[in-house]
Amino acid sequence: MKKIITLVALFVVVISSAQTQFEQGMNKAFGLWKEGKNTEASALFERIAAAEKNSYLPNYYVALINATAVFTEKDKTKIDLLLTKAQDALDIELIKDQANSELYVMQALIYTGYVVADPMTNGMKYSGKVMEAYAKAKALDPNNPRAVFGEADYQLGGAKWTGVDTKPLCAQVDKSIELFNTFKPATPYAPKWGLDRALEIQKTCK
Amino acid sequence: MKTKLFFTLSFLFFTALIFAQNTISGKVVDQKGKPVAGANIYIDGTYDGATSSETGDFSFETTETGNKFLVVSFLLFETFKQEIDVANYKDQTVKLRENVNALDAVVITAGTLESGDKARVSVLKPLDIVTTAGSAGNIVAALQTLPGTQSVGEDGRLFVRGGEASETQTFVDGIRVAQPYGATMNNLPTRSRFSPFLFSGIAFSTGGYSAEYGEALSSVLLLNTQDEEDHEKTDIGLMTVGLSLGNTQKFKKSSLSVNMAYINLAPYQAVIPQNVDWNNPYQSLGGETVYRYNFTSGIFKLYASFDSEKFDLNQKNVNFENPIRTDMNNNNFYLNSSYKGSFGTGWQITSGVSYGYSKNKLKYDITGVDSQENAAQLKLKLSKKFSNYFKLSFGTDYFITKYNENVADNIALDVTNGYDSNIFAAYTEGDVMFSKKLALKVGLRFSNNSLLNENHIAPRASLGYKASKSSQFSFAYGDFTQTPVVDYIKFSKYHQFESEKASHYILNYTFTRPGQTLRAEAYYKDYSNLVQYDTRDIQYNSIFNNNGSGYAKGLDIFWRDSNLYKNLEYWISYSYIDSERQYKNFPYMATPSFIANHNLSVVTKYFITDWKSQVGFTNSFSTGRPYNDPNQTQFMNGKTKSYNSLSFNWAYLLTTQKILYFSVSNVLGTQNVFGYDYAKNPDPSGVYQRQAVVPTADRFFFVGFFWTISQNKNENQLKNL
Repeated sequence: MKKIITLVALFVVVISSAQTQFEQGMNKAFGLWKEGKNTEASALFERIAAAEKNSYLPNYYVALINATAVFTEKDKTKIDLLLTKAQDALDIELIKDQANSELYVMQALIYTGYVVADPMTNGMKYSGKVMEAYAKAKALDPNNPRAVFGEADYQLGGAKWTGVDTKPLCAQVDKSIELFNTFKPATPYAPKWGLDRALEIQKTCK
Repeated sequence: MKTKLFFTLSFLFFTALIFAQNTISGKVVDQKGKPVAGANIYIDGTYDGATSSETGDFSFETTETGNKFLVVSFLLFETFKQEIDVANYKDQTVKLRENVNALDAVVITAGTLESGDKARVSVLKPLDIVTTAGSAGNIVAALQTLPGTQSVGEDGRLFVRGGEASETQTFVDGIRVAQPYGATMNNLPTRSRFSPFLFSGIAFSTGGYSAEYGEALSSVLLLNTQDEEDHEKTDIGLMTVGLSLGNTQKFKKSSLSVNMAYINLAPYQAVIPQNVDWNNPYQSLGGETVYRYNFTSGIFKLYASFDSEKFDLNQKNVNFENPIRTDMNNNNFYLNSSYKGSFGTGWQITSGVSYGYSKNKLKYDITGVDSQENAAQLKLKLSKKFSNYFKLSFGTDYFITKYNENVADNIALDVTNGYDSNIFAAYTEGDVMFSKKLALKVGLRFSNNSLLNENHIAPRASLGYKASKSSQFSFAYGDFTQTPVVDYIKFSKYHQFESEKASHYILNYTFTRPGQTLRAEAYYKDYSNLVQYDTRDIQYNSIFNNNGSGYAKGLDIFWRDSNLYKNLEYWISYSYIDSERQYKNFPYMATPSFIANHNLSVVTKYFITDWKSQVGFTNSFSTGRPYNDPNQTQFMNGKTKSYNSLSFNWAYLLTTQKILYFSVSNVLGTQNVFGYDYAKNPDPSGVYQRQAVVPTADRFFFVGFFWTISQNKNENQLKNL
């Protein structure tokens, strides 16, 4: 009996230590990101991605770190580099799985990066692509709060010069907040960001 | 129990011991030994790794043992992978090889002006074609604000660097368009047949282009249709000059776009005073369609366009007391299908067929001229990428042209002229990247022309060198040949004509920074074998020879900036040209009438957020053009006054999807003169009378309302205006 318990215990230890490796890696990468060490965090996620081909998450975060860095990057010459890196990482996952709503939200975010970097050149070209990506994300998961919010947020961003009616868009923001509140990530590291910004935008709506 | 626990603990302890740590350390440098910061260094398949510091140094610990693969990756460099012994890898230097495909590699830019998102050095943005004041959605008019072009107001076609309009060839998806322009004659300007709507990229080469393109002495204009449509939509346009309608449908793997337009200039001609007397206003009905099908490793496209135009007017003619009537009917059809795909390792195939049909029915005074042209091209191109450093492409072309014209005036016998031309061509071209800084392209084009009974070999070469992060130099050289234009070869007998020839030498300097582009280009062109004739007009009994020659040399400067002021974009083009030719019936070397020595264009666009409006101004200026005055002994001795035109446009967003658009050309009403027509015979006092060649109207104005209906509420037609 004891032997069995020991064996089971050992088995559990081995399994949990295997989990721990992924968790440790992910936690460490998130830590680096929080500290503002974007390059290091992105590099670690890349390493995890290279070792864990079954999870889309490490590449997803490589894309997320680099795409969101664009919004604060002042050196315009680096923007192409960041977005190319984000797109490369995302492409690896999009080939494997075309039914993941989060990946299309990510795609919309990368295109938004191009628009923000140079609205005069890229505005018209990428606007359609941004909207198409959000539409796909919503079709795959109508209750994905990031897709609902992202789509409304993007249109609100352009509303001040396009004159589009903001009321229905603000209603979508409200809806996304409800979705954020009931949203349960499928796995501990699955994307769950976005509520903070949605609440911020909700304020500007009023 | 205790012993068991002890055993388990010690077992775990041992496991930890087995996973003893090894330190891996070293330095990442580029080919010049400079440290590379931010590179990702790791043991393949593990989480163990580090990021290189500002000094390129890295160090990390790993529990791995034995021989493992070390990976060093960084976007601008080729990924480095090497098998190492984990226990013995300390203070090593890793030299990364630069990735010649990276974003900051040299691009050969001599002669080429590109627009579109794929272009690394782009001078025009896709939107520019339509938001440039004075262009009115005409691709050619927008290109005329670029350096190296001559604005020839009475013709409307592209004249590049001292070349005639016929010396520029237009290609859609790599395949030639035999009849790229609408009908024109007697100083009525034409416009490009293509709406900018369907094209995602435009490359306009003012010389020194690739061996892939032939039968063009001066220039090639490459238009590429969009690979995919963004989404389904319907576009409606109501204009003071007509109607337009467009629809796009998307399917799982394919998409279809259709555009139709009906233009009638009657309302405009009624409001604005005209310099000619119209019997029937200019009218056209045209449509374009693109179908795309995506395969897993390729794309098939079918592009078709048709248009039908007519106009009827009376023009004053210095040779006759009464105005002369011109009645024109033109029908045109163009079909182009292409397949582009990849196969095997590094192979790419591009193949296509085009067919163009043009039928003109012209009545000039009492003379009727009916002409028909059938033109086709077959094309096959293969390219193989051997490595990031070497690419080879080769291909063949086959051009077939049949032309037929019938002249009848009810007095003399009907006259029929025409020709059949078949040209076979093959070419090969190699692209060599010596490093990220130095690139070379060398090509050779062979052609055989059955009508002229001749063979040609034309070498082409270009070189690019990146001098610093933001500046680069390019040099291009090429030999070009082209069959003489239809006006001559319709009289071809016994292979009497030879191809006309030109050589180009181009030196280019490009400076780019985000939001700014400076481009300066000096060129020399040597023309030979140009056609000459000995009569006043080209006619069946003219004596032709191929002994003409000429040159063109000059400097083109382009500056574009969007950093000066928020929401303001502008560009300035300046061209200087010195060119003379002895061709046609010129008695000696002289500057042809379409050349102005100095051309200056200034284009501005400003977005006013509060007004939801984009306003734009374009000013085009050129110095006087030569004309021949038979009252003087010297040939081509006259010079017109300089030309100036200021255009203005205003796009107002009613809502995102509804746009009101207003444009007016030549706001200041400058009385421009393009040249003079002189009488064939002197009057009784021995003086040749003349008549000025002027625009059909001094101003053109346009008001339109454009509405887009689609799921995406941000989509509108601003890009089509």
